Amino acid sequence: MTKEKQKLFDQKVVEQLGTKKERWHEETLKGKVGDKKYYTESGIPIDILYSPSDIKDLDYQKDIGFPGEAPYTRGVYPNMYRGRLFTVRQLAGFGAPEDCNQRIKYLLDNGATGVNIVFDLPTVRGYNSDDPEAEGNVGACGVAIDSLEDMETLFNSIPIDEISSSVVTHMPSTTVVLLAMYMVMAEKRGIALEKLSGTNQNDFLMETVVGSAPEILPPKASFRLQCDAIEYASKHLPRWNPVSYNGYNLREAGTSAVQEVAVGIANAIATAEELISRGNSVDDFAKRMSFFWDLCNDFFEEIAKCRASRIVFQEVMRDRFQAKNPNSQMMRFHVQTSGITLTAVEPLNNIARSSIQGLAAILGGAQSLHIDSYDEAYSAPTEEAALVSLRTQQILQGETNVVNTVDPLAGSYYVESLTREMAQRIREYIEEIERKGGLVAVTESGWLHREISNFAYKQQKAIENGEQKIVGVNHFPAEKKKAAEIEVFRYPETAVRQTEKLARLRKKRDQAKLDKALGNLREKCLSDENIMPYVKEAVLALATLGEIEEIFREEFGLWQFPLA
Amino acid sequence: MSRPIKVVMAKLGLDIHWRGAVAVSRMLRDEGMEVVYLGNQFPEQIVNAAVQEGADVVGLSTLGGNHNSLGPKVVELLRKKGLEDILVLMGGVIPSEDIPALKEKGIAAVFGPESKIVDIASFIRGKVS
Repeated sequence: MTKEKQKLFDQKVVEQLGTKKERWHEETLKGKVGDKKYYTESGIPIDILYSPSDIKDLDYQKDIGFPGEAPYTRGVYPNMYRGRLFTVRQLAGFGAPEDCNQRIKYLLDNGATGVNIVFDLPTVRGYNSDDPEAEGNVGACGVAIDSLEDMETLFNSIPIDEISSSVVTHMPSTTVVLLAMYMVMAEKRGIALEKLSGTNQNDFLMETVVGSAPEILPPKASFRLQCDAIEYASKHLPRWNPVSYNGYNLREAGTSAVQEVAVGIANAIATAEELISRGNSVDDFAKRMSFFWDLCNDFFEEIAKCRASRIVFQEVMRDRFQAKNPNSQMMRFHVQTSGITLTAVEPLNNIARSSIQGLAAILGGAQSLHIDSYDEAYSAPTEEAALVSLRTQQILQGETNVVNTVDPLAGSYYVESLTREMAQRIREYIEEIERKGGLVAVTESGWLHREISNFAYKQQKAIENGEQKIVGVNHFPAEKKKAAEIEVFRYPETAVRQTEKLARLRKKRDQAKLDKALGNLREKCLSDENIMPYVKEAVLALATLGEIEEIFREEFGLWQFPLA
Repeated sequence: MSRPIKVVMAKLGLDIHWRGAVAVSRMLRDEGMEVVYLGNQFPEQIVNAAVQEGADVVGLSTLGGNHNSLGPKVVELLRKKGLEDILVLMGGVIPSEDIPALKEKGIAAVFGPESKIVDIASFIRGKVS
């Protein structure tokens, strides 16, 4: 590739067009540009019309390129959805493992192509179901997992060597335990680790920024566990994505689209620096980094965000870390449609919102997609609502024809201009984080928490004063007092069943083997060694999730969430 | 009332979704109230903080499904300490059919996702005087 730009447009023609646009403004448009200023959701001004002048410097090869080639603006695979449709990955998670196993089978029987498991809050926060801290949350919002045996029940007769599993493990401390359980479960079923395909979340910001809790590990400790899981997987799980940098939950908590992506990439940068300092080569691990974006309502901005995120990641991996393997420069991401944009009033309207967001994900080149259910402002989805989401995906894939050509919005003056602007703002926000000492430092100082809090506060004000329109709420508000008729999903009683299982488990374990495994794990917490093999050993000895997490809490200490 | 109304706001138990609780806390401050945001806490700690701070109002936020078990527990613990005049409010994702039972157990009001801060603030002012 030449260093010099080969501009797509003849600059003389563009210049003439600029003059012509001015004339059009005066003579045809006559200044009728609307009565206010228009901005994208992240604050980029929107012009009434885009033309070649807005992207006059564009070099097709360098700035856009072909799909499957750098800079991957048009997508990471050459044939995109013609090669493989994005994975229909609807979330499932509630109750005890045997309840959730039924929902997984239901979704797979109806054509879902991947599994996507969420865990209940005690599990993701590292408590057993019979722990007093778990009260009220067992089996709610996700499935309860306490031990290896629960993981075996959860995936009972699910072909984990054929389909890919996403396990939404949130925090690194839970990831190392749940990933270890998943690996041991597979090995006991005779499935080689090389065959395991899937993703876990493993983002230290889920522990220290997004998810507040009474007991949180310090950012440095959480980040170390995050890197341990990634490093271990790079050596033993060639088809596994050991991290999904979670922009989604940051966005839901309160960031713009720009901040969402910038923080995700800043975390990838911090990870790469750490793993390289441990003696790994960037090409050992970068190819399995994956990302998780939230697609909200600003249709074109979300598409531009997806395209821009690939551009910036490629630059970072190529220029900063000198990644040689093309796979190390490809950003692959999962999309979930936005929960925060859904309303409790007139819940069926949410089907329209989620469909539009899902369409944006496809036009943005997502690798897998979860479409939120219309009842998510009430509870975990009912079976009926989950089916509507699944069907929405299938309608997008099968009926709309949007999947049959790659990156159809490329070349749109607006989308290309917005893609460039988003990329620039993402770079600038990453630079700001780095000026403040990097992602771990801005977490420790509480700067990131304040950024999120400020955004959430401003957005709430904009909703209350009507600047940000929400149909049924402040824009064409729904009739007052008319309660929505909606079936609320009721979580099955789980705590009692899980408590009984734990009691049985504790009785039948080989105590000497367990003590030895837990002792080894405790010893390694403050060493430089990768923690994963020791967690695996403990899991195999039937240590519970809560027991392992308690060791982490004791050895790493707790951290005060910096938001008051 | 000479001093500002004092609110102790908490995320209930393990529920992680803090956006609403933080936004409401900040907006109640804009309304002239004094708000102490505790972050995530369990009922015992919330009640202890309410006592220490001399709270007029306890705000509990949850989107995680623990409203029925942990919400009324806060009221119960306050009553045990003879603090039944502290107003206990809840916010978040709470099915409407659960609200009557919560009110029966002493939750003064439940503010769902589309509530406006002016309504929350005027409800508080109407009760605390």
